[in-house]
Amino acid sequence: MIQKLPAKKMVITGDYAAAYGALLCDVDVVAAYPITPQTLIVEEFSTFVNDGITDAEFIMVESEHSAMSACIAAQAAGARTFTATSSQGLALMHEMLFVASGLRLPIVMPVVNRTVAAPIGIWCEHNDSMPQRDAGWIQMACEDNQEVLDMIIMAYKIGEHKDVLLPVMPCLDAFILSHTVEPVEAPSSDEVADFIGEYKPHAVLDPDKPMAIGTFTPPEYIQELRYQTHEAMKKAKEVIKNVTKDFASKFGRDYYGLVEEYRCDDAEVVLITVGTVTGTAREVVDKLRQEGKKVGLVKSRFYRPFPAEEVKKIAENVEAIGVYDRAISYGSGGPLFIETRNALYGMDVPVINFLAGLGGRDVVTGDVEKMYEILLENKGKKPAKEIYWIGTRGVSI
Amino acid sequence: MYEIRFHGRGGQGGRMAAEAYALAAFLEGKYAVSFPFFGAERRGAPVRAFTRVDDKKIRIKTQIYEPDYVVVLDETLIETEDVLEGLKEDGMVIINTPKKPEEVQLSKPVKCATVDATSIALEILGRPITNTAILGAIAKATGKVSIDSIEKAIIEKFGARLGKEAGEKNAKAARVAYEKTLVGVSQGGKEFVPRKRWLPTVEEMPIGGAIGTLQTEAGLVGIGSFIENKTGDWRTFIPVVDKEKCIGCRLCWFYCPEGCISMVEDKATVDYDYCKGCGICANECPVNAIEMKREVRE
Ligand code: SF4
Ligand code: SF4
Repeated sequence: MIQKLPAKKMVITGDYAAAYGALLCDVDVVAAYPITPQTLIVEEFSTFVNDGITDAEFIMVESEHSAMSACIAAQAAGARTFTATSSQGLALMHEMLFVASGLRLPIVMPVVNRTVAAPIGIWCEHNDSMPQRDAGWIQMACEDNQEVLDMIIMAYKIGEHKDVLLPVMPCLDAFILSHTVEPVEAPSSDEVADFIGEYKPHAVLDPDKPMAIGTFTPPEYIQELRYQTHEAMKKAKEVIKNVTKDFASKFGRDYYGLVEEYRCDDAEVVLITVGTVTGTAREVVDKLRQEGKKVGLVKSRFYRPFPAEEVKKIAENVEAIGVYDRAISYGSGGPLFIETRNALYGMDVPVINFLAGLGGRDVVTGDVEKMYEILLENKGKKPAKEIYWIGTRGVSI
Repeated sequence: MYEIRFHGRGGQGGRMAAEAYALAAFLEGKYAVSFPFFGAERRGAPVRAFTRVDDKKIRIKTQIYEPDYVVVLDETLIETEDVLEGLKEDGMVIINTPKKPEEVQLSKPVKCATVDATSIALEILGRPITNTAILGAIAKATGKVSIDSIEKAIIEKFGARLGKEAGEKNAKAARVAYEKTLVGVSQGGKEFVPRKRWLPTVEEMPIGGAIGTLQTEAGLVGIGSFIENKTGDWRTFIPVVDKEKCIGCRLCWFYCPEGCISMVEDKATVDYDYCKGCGICANECPVNAIEMKREVRE
């Protein structure tokens, strides 16, 4: 239970927004291990517990692997749980991510995107969350701190939906959001409780009604379970659309389902972005539009489930699509690019991948302008090159 | 190509037998493949292993469904399942049993070879491990591979693991079994209640495989475990508790891997429906109150 919290406007970091979002959702159990730049989330939440604002059980564990294990156990006992991690911490959790989704436990865990060593760095890259693609988690990316708070709230409502029952990973860029303060509107705890409703687990470990979950399962059964999870991930798309719609009508902030289109109406070329680069790209689009260039922006909010239908529809009306990635699948391309091209199979619109900001390098407006410039040059053509490493010394564009 | 299916129980070495047979065939210039299929890796659980032999490279990777030969390392298995399932028209079954082929009852009359591999193993090896003796019987019954190659393969394979002397003893067990194997025709007419299986569709499958006790057409189940699937018929040895000696320390209760010991009036009591006869309880008992006896079944 939490104390009643009034709606209020705060100037807070992305990490605080994540912790406060979890507080508003009245989580029962938090188990976490600190890692820069996620540490503030854990610290802030432990302060809420210390101050008696929530009576949530806060479990200190010795590693991220244990943090996820503790959340899995608590969630399986019927609790609403929360944790957070980043980078190597997420890598260490990898094994348990599959357990959470396999048991269909809608745990919510913000991931502060930080580069995975080597070499060691603490800045933003998406090579921690994106490689978790196949672990059965819903993955969403945030553009600003308001979205972080709102996404935590929606994450519980989406994940706990009876057609979904999957864990959710809202992602926020290291430092660019995690340690940046900006104004955020928080709804009241009553409004949030009313919005997300009660968590109704599909199965509960209860000594009075013995039950086995996650037991040794022979091949006769596993394939059907895999199919169930795949279907749940697909059904999540509809649930996401409904939840964002409800959220908009209740709280007035519209997140437009799985992708947001910005100035795409008569666009000749569009750039698909993920994370905080989206905000910067909006500025660039406005500028280029003023110059008369028909450019648009597509903010990809979900990586899993992937908004294939939405991307296809957009592709029908444009002459080139760019995909911005802050991670690289070595020897292939950016993860979002691979996904996009897969969705566009059979369509002959050119698709170009832009890599920038790896290891936390700042992605500036000039970088994004360059991307649009390349897209406009390649309108309707078979691109000479598919992958552009923007601002990489010694690599020509 | 010919194919052999081995039926045994976890811990009896069916897999080693299947591999050693493949090695023997290889020593005679053949191409041979052998692999096990494990269910739950529990001592005593029914397990299968497979061997394929051909003159050329074998590419197929499936389990074997229509074997030329079926080898049964544990006689109790012919009571619970139809080991002849899929056996080729002129196929043969080779069984470890003290009975003569004509005394063995199976689902239909088939070519059948028998050998009392358990007694041979107890006599020569001092343990009821029958996987080497049975190889001698296969050589005799099928004539597909020579007993000399079987001996060589056993010495190479078992000698490497257990030492030279043990390797030679095992080879001897095979030789003795080779000489004692009887070939004939089995009786037919044994009826089997088809094994009940619960195979839920995607719709029927509980979400995330979370299962309480679920009543299905195959009985009470949890995924991968059937409450009605008694494990008592896995036994060769049976634990017998001397209640006079038992001091109620619960060590056996603690160590029993099947959870089938309960304390009744502070004395250990075994549920023989589920006791698989592993002997761990007898090993752990500090006052030797549990004795493992060879089980006699009717
Ligand atoms: S009662 Fe003894 S022999 Fe039977 S399963 Fe338990 S430990 Fe093994
Ligand atoms: S271990 Fe031996 S003495 Fe102890 S309870 Fe079991 S049978 Fe009795």
